[in-house]
Amino acid sequence: MTHEPIDFSDDSTDDPRDVDDQPTPNDDDLLDVLGHALRVADPVPGNVLDGARAAFAWRTIDTELAELVFDSSQESSDVRAEAAKRQITFRAPGVEIEVTVVENGTRRLVGQLVPPAMLTVELAGDDEVRSAESDQFGRFTFDAVEPGPVRLVVLGADGTPIVQTEWILF
Amino acid sequence: MTEAPAAAPRLHSSRMDVGDLLRRVIEGDQRAWDELVGRFGGLVWSIARGYRLGTLTDDVVQTVWLRLAENCDRIRDPERLAAWLATTTRNEALRVATKQAKLRSVSDLPERADASASSLDEIVTDDDTLHHVLHGFALLPASDQELLRLLCTVPPLDYATIGQMLGRPIGSIGPSRDRALAKLKKLLPPGLDDRHPRSSGKDDAK
Repeated sequence: MTHEPIDFSDDSTDDPRDVDDQPTPNDDDLLDVLGHALRVADPVPGNVLDGARAAFAWRTIDTELAELVFDSSQESSDVRAEAAKRQITFRAPGVEIEVTVVENGTRRLVGQLVPPAMLTVELAGDDEVRSAESDQFGRFTFDAVEPGPVRLVVLGADGTPIVQTEWILF
Repeated sequence: MTEAPAAAPRLHSSRMDVGDLLRRVIEGDQRAWDELVGRFGGLVWSIARGYRLGTLTDDVVQTVWLRLAENCDRIRDPERLAAWLATTTRNEALRVATKQAKLRSVSDLPERADASASSLDEIVTDDDTLHHVLHGFALLPASDQELLRLLCTVPPLDYATIGQMLGRPIGSIGPSRDRALAKLKKLLPPGLDDRHPRSSGKDDAK
């Protein structure tokens, strides 16, 4: 990519007319240089690229995906007292997974399958998978959840995934 | 994970379009995925970096790639993958930023993200011109920075996508761009052009 000739001189002062429709070549050059500067000075860190490549292992084909349909942390209502008790709902056809995230020094997830079912629920991070059993009310808990993207996977009685949530940063 | 054999013919060819790469990913081809990361990794990173999330930036970027991995068989229009990734990155970054702001307002939780630290404060370059441009950029209002970042990505995003991401009419993008660049020019030292040293080399992302 070539940036020359670079002319950053502000020639617009001589011409009060707006250049709305016709970005000057000068502008294009400046944008090129800015993009170049951002990439040179702030390249993607190696560990971030490694993580991106490793995400391949988590690709999923044809699995029912429960989408995020509610997240109290994104509501504008003034529920400051509840900010540390975040409510999240995922929904797939026929099932909802409700999660309360309690921040109290550590992060605890209290989940609820709707309709209730006694099943195995996995909490998958991108380098660790933990599992919990839901009780007769469909409730399950994960304590001391580490930062980073995770998803919940509900396993059927035969151990195969029935439904999984999209990835989320709790 | 099994290592890909060294001979990976023509994957890096620009003729291999995104749709083909996605099809290969679905079939289990790690090299095709790596090629996608190579093509779009810079785009996702540069957008995420615009939201001053500190160390949470890494988590946001990782979430975006995991989202692509889980949706690789659901991307309807592969040619618009750049737009999909850009939009997903922005949504995820804003979600985290909003959550962090709320948590900060109520508690003394330890913070992973340092919201006061501009991403640009951390970056350095020896190149004089680039240094001045970045310095000027860092002084622009956040909305101008956000717009200009979206306008100089590799690969580029079209105005329709940028307008949608920012919730602004497409017709306003051009004029806003001109105004933001005019502000940036005013922040550059005079005569900068004369001293520009043949930009320190090849452009990385090409």
